[in-house]
Amino acid sequence: MFKSYLFSPSVHGHRKLSGDAIVKTIDSLVEKALSRRTFLAGAGAAATAAALTGCSGQSYGSGGTTTTGSGTTYSDADILNYALNLEYLEAQFYLYAATGSGLASSDTAAPSGYSGSYTEGTVTVGSAAQVTGLTTAEQEILNEIAFEEQTHVQFLRSALGSAAVPMPSIDLSFFGPLAVAAGITTNATGTGSFNPFSSFDYFLVGAFIFEDVGVTAYAGAASFISPTGVAAGYLTAASGILAVEAYHAGYIRTALTARAIAAGSASAYPYLGDANLVEKLRASLTTGKTAAPSTSGSTETLLVLPTSTSTPSAVAAADPTNAIGFSRTFTQVHHIVYGSATAGVAKGGFFPNGTNSIFATTSA
Amino acid sequence: MANQETQLLDEIITTSRRKMMTLGAASIAGLVMAATATDAKAATTYSDSDILNFALNLEYLEANFFYLSAFGTTIDKPNAASVAAGGPSAGIPITGSVGTAGTVSGGSMVPFATVAVGSFATEIAIAEGKHVLFLQGALGSSAIAQPAINLGTSWQTLAAAANTLTPAGAIPPNFSPYTSDSSFLIGAYVFEDVGVTAYHGAASLLTSTGNLTSAAGILAVEAYHAGLVRTAINALDPTGTLGLVGYTTSISNLRSSLSQAGLLGVAPGATSYDANPDDYGLATFTTPTALGTTSTATATRIVDANPANAIAFARNTTQVLNIVTGGAAVNGSAAVSPAMGLFFPAGLNAGANGFK
Repeated sequence: MFKSYLFSPSVHGHRKLSGDAIVKTIDSLVEKALSRRTFLAGAGAAATAAALTGCSGQSYGSGGTTTTGSGTTYSDADILNYALNLEYLEAQFYLYAATGSGLASSDTAAPSGYSGSYTEGTVTVGSAAQVTGLTTAEQEILNEIAFEEQTHVQFLRSALGSAAVPMPSIDLSFFGPLAVAAGITTNATGTGSFNPFSSFDYFLVGAFIFEDVGVTAYAGAASFISPTGVAAGYLTAASGILAVEAYHAGYIRTALTARAIAAGSASAYPYLGDANLVEKLRASLTTGKTAAPSTSGSTETLLVLPTSTSTPSAVAAADPTNAIGFSRTFTQVHHIVYGSATAGVAKGGFFPNGTNSIFATTSA
Repeated sequence: MANQETQLLDEIITTSRRKMMTLGAASIAGLVMAATATDAKAATTYSDSDILNFALNLEYLEANFFYLSAFGTTIDKPNAASVAAGGPSAGIPITGSVGTAGTVSGGSMVPFATVAVGSFATEIAIAEGKHVLFLQGALGSSAIAQPAINLGTSWQTLAAAANTLTPAGAIPPNFSPYTSDSSFLIGAYVFEDVGVTAYHGAASLLTSTGNLTSAAGILAVEAYHAGLVRTAINALDPTGTLGLVGYTTSISNLRSSLSQAGLLGVAPGATSYDANPDDYGLATFTTPTALGTTSTATATRIVDANPANAIAFARNTTQVLNIVTGGAAVNGSAAVSPAMGLFFPAGLNAGANGFK
């Protein structure tokens, strides 16, 4: 089901071919049709080769499960459900910002036939509301990101079928305390508190909290998908969603950089500095990789304010040596969304009751 | 008026394409096997090195384009500007164990008018140069040399190819990406989304976990860059009145056409024969589903993704080759093997079983 949903877009109408084009195409198609069995044989061989040579140190069960060295066994569904938890959070944030309300209940409830133990949570709305005062272009960008994150929720739920976990409880009022922890402001609530729904610039900082994390989460999870899952198209789906998260992050970081350049100075546009405070907080929460942003060993790249055409900006978040994007482990991502660097924590921050995930408790 | 024959044809096309899309470059390996291997059960004919070398060809192209635009020189010739921006003072090697280093024709420094676009170009140039160096290092003695690259007349060839489509492209016949901030962004637009689809298509073929993680990381950076370029164009021309949105639509239509033509082994037609584009320009669209509990809405297309699932497109090596060489759009009606033309006038450098 996953594969067919992913790779079989609805075909609209009929292709229009005529004359010579039809003859050439038929020739080509006959040739390809005859070769298709070979394609399948080749793919099988590839999967076998991957199973034999990939991922030393891990062993794979026949059902697409992976066993880590410490004996924890999890399935590809567990990995997709981990991603689904993050997508629930992102979708709620962007939908509130774009429209003033969140996911439809049909996108949050446990699916028909769900036999797992997780229950559907609620959204603590806080000050979440449609961002006002937007230009048409700004509103259209919010619409796009909200649509795409919502579609990721729907896609993952569809791919998982009855195994999809329902939405966990989500606290959109956590932006306030998080901004205090980051040092953006001293007030967690009320006057002077950070509210990502109060203006487009504050929205950018709020969105900034999530997007780079989404990129690193998918990058970190990709190599844990089993060969069975790779053959089923899960890895391709994960890398495709990774790309979309990076497009979003590219948008957010480009917008912050360009608006700071237009404002002329860091003090004239404090949001870029606010975003960098978020990066420092994320770095401190990324256990095992707590080096200062933009230094070797970190998983963060600070935004910069270029002063000339020949000074590089820092839109892409990537390792400074090789320009390769970062990845984070399941636990590192949970530390960030819980707002806690403590090992063994199972809930907090944006997820007041924890994620509906086998990885909900931080392990390091 | 569809008769039985055309319906059947449609079905074959759909089925064939579905398999190709599902299997990605594995299907290409299958083709290679069918053509050359005596033992159909032999292991696949490509290796991680073949895949990484394919990526290296593309990175040579991207790096040279951005180096020329930002610094006015090719990647092997460092200058004060490239070094000050963080590029290697020794330059970037263009030789390798496979093939001989080709030359780069065309290209010149863009007279950037804004700090924003200039700094973006500088950032991307440095990053793409690092990708070349990284892949060379990862491949070691298997690394290919730089292929011959055309970054001059290829832009006009590209514009002409876009104009063969229906609807006809909107790119001026004398288009050059080196004249202004906006022309540079259009040039960058040509490459970055392709890089995303290429790494995306290759990811599931890599057998080494380390290589997969690296490819995912480079994929992320290409998507950051693509997001940057599309954001900047959107910011310059939010309503399309400057014509930039029309350029992006033309380029995306051409890429989509070449991509599908590569798959089907036919020339991109004078009509839009494909109802399932794998590429979208920056024109706004109406969301196919309601947003949350409200209604559908008009949205930008900063992200180049399938609107059905909001997942970025993947392309196999044949599709990417057809795009970067112009495929049958510049080579006549027959597909050329090895592929050559447009940005790669002598084709790609590849090992014996590599993708070219």
